[in-house]
Amino acid sequence: MSAVKPCVVIPTYHHVSALDGIVSGLRAQGLPVIIVDDGNEPGDARLIAGVCAAHDGVELLRRDFNGGKGAAVLDGIERAEARGFTHVLQIDADGQHDLARAADLLRLASAHPTALVIGEPVYDETVPRSRRLARWITHIWVSINTASFRILDSMCGFRVYPIAATLAISRSVRIAQRMAFDTEILVRLVWRGVDVITFPVPVTYPPGNYSNFAMWDDNLRLSGMHAKLFFLMLTRLPFLLFSRIRARRRSSRHWAAIGERGSYVGLWILGAVYKFFGRRICLVALAPIVFFFFLTGAEQRRGSLLYLRRAHEAGFVPQVPDLFLSFRHFLTFASSAIDKLAAWTGKIPASAVYGVDEGEFDRAKKRDQGAVIFTAHLGNPEVLRAIATLRFRWRVNVLVHTANAVRFNRLVNEFSGSSTVRVIQVTDVGPDTAILLQEAVANGDWVVMAGDRIPVTGNERISWVPFLGKLAPFPQGPHILAGLLKCPVHLLFCLREGAHHRIYFERFAERVELPRKGRNEAISASVARYAERLESHLRIAPLQWFNFFDFWHPAGLKPPEPAGRSGEQ
Amino acid sequence: MERLEDQIRRLIIETLNLEDVSMQDIDEDEPLFGDGLGLDSIDALEIGIEIQKVFGVKIDSSDENLASYFSSVKELARFVARQQGPAT
Repeated sequence: MSAVKPCVVIPTYHHVSALDGIVSGLRAQGLPVIIVDDGNEPGDARLIAGVCAAHDGVELLRRDFNGGKGAAVLDGIERAEARGFTHVLQIDADGQHDLARAADLLRLASAHPTALVIGEPVYDETVPRSRRLARWITHIWVSINTASFRILDSMCGFRVYPIAATLAISRSVRIAQRMAFDTEILVRLVWRGVDVITFPVPVTYPPGNYSNFAMWDDNLRLSGMHAKLFFLMLTRLPFLLFSRIRARRRSSRHWAAIGERGSYVGLWILGAVYKFFGRRICLVALAPIVFFFFLTGAEQRRGSLLYLRRAHEAGFVPQVPDLFLSFRHFLTFASSAIDKLAAWTGKIPASAVYGVDEGEFDRAKKRDQGAVIFTAHLGNPEVLRAIATLRFRWRVNVLVHTANAVRFNRLVNEFSGSSTVRVIQVTDVGPDTAILLQEAVANGDWVVMAGDRIPVTGNERISWVPFLGKLAPFPQGPHILAGLLKCPVHLLFCLREGAHHRIYFERFAERVELPRKGRNEAISASVARYAERLESHLRIAPLQWFNFFDFWHPAGLKPPEPAGRSGEQ
Repeated sequence: MERLEDQIRRLIIETLNLEDVSMQDIDEDEPLFGDGLGLDSIDALEIGIEIQKVFGVKIDSSDENLASYFSSVKELARFVARQQGPAT
């Protein structure tokens, strides 16, 4: 049994009308509750005290002065620690959180006791016509890597804190006391190496509800905090943003071995800059950072130059690749990160994406049929997804540490029933995930996979096929899975073209056949065709290729020797 | 009621369309993969999917003993029986 002992902390300031209902709901689940009265005026204070007195297992902490949400939550957490609890479930007092989800969040916390568990708001206005168009984003987004970082709604106050890590921070640095608290503590926890797990929670705004979010004051404080975090980030640069840092070994490492958690925080902070200053400033602010990574990321630079040379030989890139072009390649990657942010914060209007309602894509999304979608680390398919998601205000994010498939699969298994987005590492597909995907496809869902990153396990299930003139290893996994799912397969890319994004969508196969005889040949043929189609889209936007490693010999992999020469040195 | 082992043998043949294999050809103790029937890991995945569907059991892909469950028809039957819980 896990040693997690949770209690609930509810900071209250002015919000008293919903309090009794919240407390009743929590007590019905047997959760101990600590209510922090954040210096309310005598009238409200009496009401709060009345609620506390009316229930068992509810402790009232009274602050004499209003100190803001952060101060109140920290007081509550301190008190929880003194009482021997290990985790604190924070709930806002305004009744906007669905208490039925409390058990889910706590279940996640006890499965991952060192992690911070965050409720990710889902604004559930079911738009019927969304059924049709939202189909393509659907309930499953399988990706080896593209989905590994998301912009969290960092201000959601429905979360479970691991007490030890949280107090270690609050006792060593001064954290924003008011509304900026939720965000800052999240970032600080991530910096400490605490994993963040998100879980979709429905959020409703009860009628008559008003927010304590003081428009001007709190926005000023938020910008202050963003500025502070931004400068702190500069001191942490080596671990943030690209985070695919200098390889210790000479050989190029497997992409999965290059951590990506840092990029999440980096992106998040970039998001703050973007939000306040816009794309141009963001790029300018980014240039020195990108330059830093360009200088220090020898492995990425080599990967970039190698790719550019191959692309040049293939005639995709007219100029002879030099360091300047490689730097531009890096900058393109950084700007794609900005596009992700822009998309997720609703800054890219649907009109800036061409091809949403055209051609094969339009036909496919109108057809009520499950499908497998192959994509790649080319351009920014996430832009498309974010836009369609935001268009229907339907938003679910899962933060995944890609390399950590075991933990992730556990998460999937625990919540396959209630979660609306599932991200599954394709390399790890076993019978359990396969059946899950099969059900999804039977439901008409789309299963999206990147087909250009080889599995972590190495040599198995790789096909060496021509790519930009030389043999490169591609994973067989997506093709095998597509074959098992017995459904149509499409190709999807989303490329930035000037100020717009364009969707490229085409039918890849009616079925990927896996005949028992000649199976390997059939799979390799499918892989080769994928590589060929990928290459032809690469021609459109050669700098939007975002595999910054030796793509032809990742992790020192070598193509198989031709038969008869294997003994040669 | 048909024996669990026979149900599994039938399931393997039907799932994989093993046209030239009859139920008697599959030895309960014989390894399914590699030397024995010569099935590969993709077949295993297909069989795994079917087993979950037909018998309502859960196969956890992170289970370290997964390979041993699939080593023979007998082992598979034992696994399914255990997953289904004590017979009622």
